Amino acid sequence: MTKRLIILIAAGAAVLVAATAATAKSTDTTLTGAGSTFVQPLVAAWTPAIGKAFGYTVQYSGVGSGAGIAAITANQVDFGASDAPLTQAQQSACPDCIQIPWALSATAVAYNVPGAPAHLNLDGSTISKIFLGTITNWNDPAIAALNKGAKLPDLKITPVFRSDGSGTSYNFTDYLSSVNASWKTKIGVSTQPAFPAGQGAKGSAGVAGLISRTNGAIGYVDVAYAIKNHIKFAAVRNKAGKFVFPSLRRIEAAALAYNTVPANNELHIVNPPKAASLAYPVSTYTYVIVHKKSAHAPELRKMIFWALTQGQGSQFAAKLTFAKLSTNKKVLVAAEKTIKQIQATGN
Amino acid sequence: MLARVEAASIPTGSLPRTRRLGDRIGDALLYGLTALAAILGVLVVFAIIWRVADGAWPAIKFFKLGFVYHNVWNVNLNGGSFGARDLIIGTVVTSFGAMLLSGPISIAIGLFLSELAPPAVRAPVGTLIDMLAAVPSVVIGLWGIYVLAPFNANHIAPGIHAVLGWIPIFGGDPHTESTVFTAIVVLTIMTIPITSSICRELFIGVPSELEEGSIALGATRWEMVKTVVVPSVRGGVAAAIMLGLGRALGEAIAVTQVIGNFIPMGRSLFAPGDTIASRLANQYQGASTDRQIAALIYLGLVLLVITFLTNYAAQRIVKRLEFQRTAGA
Amino acid sequence: MEPGAISLKATGRGRRRLLVNRVAESSAVLAAVLAIAVLAVVIWSVGSRGVGAIDLDFFINGPSSDFFGGSGGIAPALAGSLLLVGVATVIALPVGVLTAIFVSEFAPVRAGQQIRLWLDVLNGFPSIVIGIFVFTLAVKTKVPVLGIGLHQSAIAGGFALAVIMLPLVARSTMEVLRLVPNHLREASYALGVSKWQTVMRVVLPTSFGGILTGTTLAVARAAGETAPLLFTCAIAGQIVDWNPTHSVQSIPLTIYLDSESADPALHQQAWAAAFVLILFVLVTSLTARLLLERSRKKLGL
Repeated sequence: MTKRLIILIAAGAAVLVAATAATAKSTDTTLTGAGSTFVQPLVAAWTPAIGKAFGYTVQYSGVGSGAGIAAITANQVDFGASDAPLTQAQQSACPDCIQIPWALSATAVAYNVPGAPAHLNLDGSTISKIFLGTITNWNDPAIAALNKGAKLPDLKITPVFRSDGSGTSYNFTDYLSSVNASWKTKIGVSTQPAFPAGQGAKGSAGVAGLISRTNGAIGYVDVAYAIKNHIKFAAVRNKAGKFVFPSLRRIEAAALAYNTVPANNELHIVNPPKAASLAYPVSTYTYVIVHKKSAHAPELRKMIFWALTQGQGSQFAAKLTFAKLSTNKKVLVAAEKTIKQIQATGN
Repeated sequence: MLARVEAASIPTGSLPRTRRLGDRIGDALLYGLTALAAILGVLVVFAIIWRVADGAWPAIKFFKLGFVYHNVWNVNLNGGSFGARDLIIGTVVTSFGAMLLSGPISIAIGLFLSELAPPAVRAPVGTLIDMLAAVPSVVIGLWGIYVLAPFNANHIAPGIHAVLGWIPIFGGDPHTESTVFTAIVVLTIMTIPITSSICRELFIGVPSELEEGSIALGATRWEMVKTVVVPSVRGGVAAAIMLGLGRALGEAIAVTQVIGNFIPMGRSLFAPGDTIASRLANQYQGASTDRQIAALIYLGLVLLVITFLTNYAAQRIVKRLEFQRTAGA
Repeated sequence: MEPGAISLKATGRGRRRLLVNRVAESSAVLAAVLAIAVLAVVIWSVGSRGVGAIDLDFFINGPSSDFFGGSGGIAPALAGSLLLVGVATVIALPVGVLTAIFVSEFAPVRAGQQIRLWLDVLNGFPSIVIGIFVFTLAVKTKVPVLGIGLHQSAIAGGFALAVIMLPLVARSTMEVLRLVPNHLREASYALGVSKWQTVMRVVLPTSFGGILTGTTLAVARAAGETAPLLFTCAIAGQIVDWNPTHSVQSIPLTIYLDSESADPALHQQAWAAAFVLILFVLVTSLTARLLLERSRKKLGL
């Protein structure tokens, strides 16, 4: 009886294998990638289109920018994706790695405060004090001063941060370091900052989830996740004194404010100068990281070029609140030039 | 007719080898294969210890023992400043808290299943509790996030806070969902099945003559348990509790989902915290510098040592209690 | 009290003792009820929240690529988990059973105790540390066969799961082998059968049911492990992949990643996947128990 049972189970397994294999696409070229959850929705939107255009299968895994950099350094994937540019240490650990900005969006400051006004205004100093743990209640005078006439509830503030290695953390701490000198010295800019207050969650989805579940929570998450999960986000004051939301125009304004592209493509567009009066101050580029000598060099070149051009079309990018990379021509030109550096491994 | 057998013709040494060649090879092969497998099994243990120690070595050289009593986890500070004190405290607090809760409950369940339940009920209930052991930790974590944590934050924690809030560990704001307390409850749920099933086996194993003798002398059921059953299986119960403790110490996923991932540890259980396993689960994949990777592996080594010491202490306690029982009985 | 009539009602100390007894018994019953209640709540929560997402689509398709659209299914994770558990069983079953045979048939008592001890130590290792170990062995460095291509793979993940399964398989097999009556062995030797033939033809078939049970329980455990897969088999694509040198998705990791999400559709997927996983684990555990009962009956115990 047992033997028959085993044969039955084996047959069932074989049928399952056949059924699922039949629905899986047969792959001629598979490009594996890992990294940022920030850009994951965009890559997921690109995947079927790239499949149709070139026949490549893109397998992308959103494990966080930090893990993505680690993965591409160790050559475990064909490309890595990170919102944080490579640090000096990471660049020397991977001398062959180059980074190419391939999308442009922003980090929203999302909150869950029942009873709060529909649009909350915040500025860099207040946000940094909240995350430092010195402002602890939503009815704090500092917040009230920015939101004249609004009724703010007496509710404890729970800052929410990324517990994993995150490029969004990098972008957020980049912004906080530029608006608050003591943040810069105490905590600095990092993909895994040592936040002095609050609770951690894994991945952009995790942060969005924790904010939705926790009354009084405030956190940083890329705009697409905030919109998708119907989480309110704040209007942040830029250097020009205006309170702005992270919309496409405002992100583009931030991108246009910085016109020099260094050789390694490391771009910081947080806290743009006063002249960019419309700019959203917590915007960021996000990068694809590849080896100069890659096994799938021609395919990677084609894919990244497609991403820089057609991938920026509104049916992909704008829908997910990614601004067109071509907004800043200099960046686009530099990115396209960098693609040429990808060569096949010596054959 | 008797044949005359010469004394000299009777072999006095070993019997001539009469086994077939195939058998000899087969025996040797089986011995070799099984010995190899056993050696592999033991070797894996040492390989794990070696690789972890090897990976942690750069951090051990750099931080030395200060790693254990400094409390900092900053990738940026001075090129990476790491100290595991509050992570170790978090690990110990959550696991021991779970042990304190699950120990008595498991013993009670073991008693229920061995002594108190009507025989018809024993098998199904026992199976049900074993099923709880089979539920994977990630599912308990998922359930913990969306069912247990809100329930704790809205009902249990405020209730405890209302009565015992003057004690610092029950102070603070009890309305937080992701807290050390939630993690303790999750770990308790995970360790109860393990501990209780072992306790049940132990209690069933107590000779019935001893139990019946004490009842015949007029003891109530509880007194019988207290004076006969428990003393005779003290060692086993201790081992069972320690086994549960070991499981709790190493649990990464269910804990990281509900504990809040935050250090330093506050004084209250109703605040977020973090454990070694939970921090490993969060940071290892994305560790960006060599020093951070080595520090994380150093954390893993510390966890290994804690688990090892716990198991070792369990064995000693078992031996001590067994000795007391057999020598002093 | 009337002279000659003895009241059997307890008084004073006796009454107190009975009260204590009643309290103790109630607590024990309460504890058991609590434990069962928790199990019931867990299964109910998982079932009621997940059942809405379970349809044919759930089992056949992969995750949807539309961020704002539907949620697709968990077919890649299902296939990946089957692959991982398969690889793990192929590694752990032979090594575990052979180890148990060595301890039970060949090894001197002291050696057997030592092996048992180290297997217990292995059983106590946190699964996340085992994941880190396999990472340094198979993903970071190039160990033959295991460290294929230096990337994460189902083989690396399966190996990590096998390390977790090994003590369980070995220990339960040892127990079952011990239960095989010695007279069976002795009868076989008396007939002139060699040791290896005795083991293969007499001992193993008799204990087959128990070995199957132990393996099934170990498989149930391995199917639910998440931590070791985090570093050995986490970066995977979104399609069904049966190639063991590739990294594959797995159900526990999918639950873990979706569990923290805010998207209600992904939530429901997580609950549904958890439901499938619990069902699988419970069914295999129950089956294992039934098999154990049958094999015990066969041995006449």
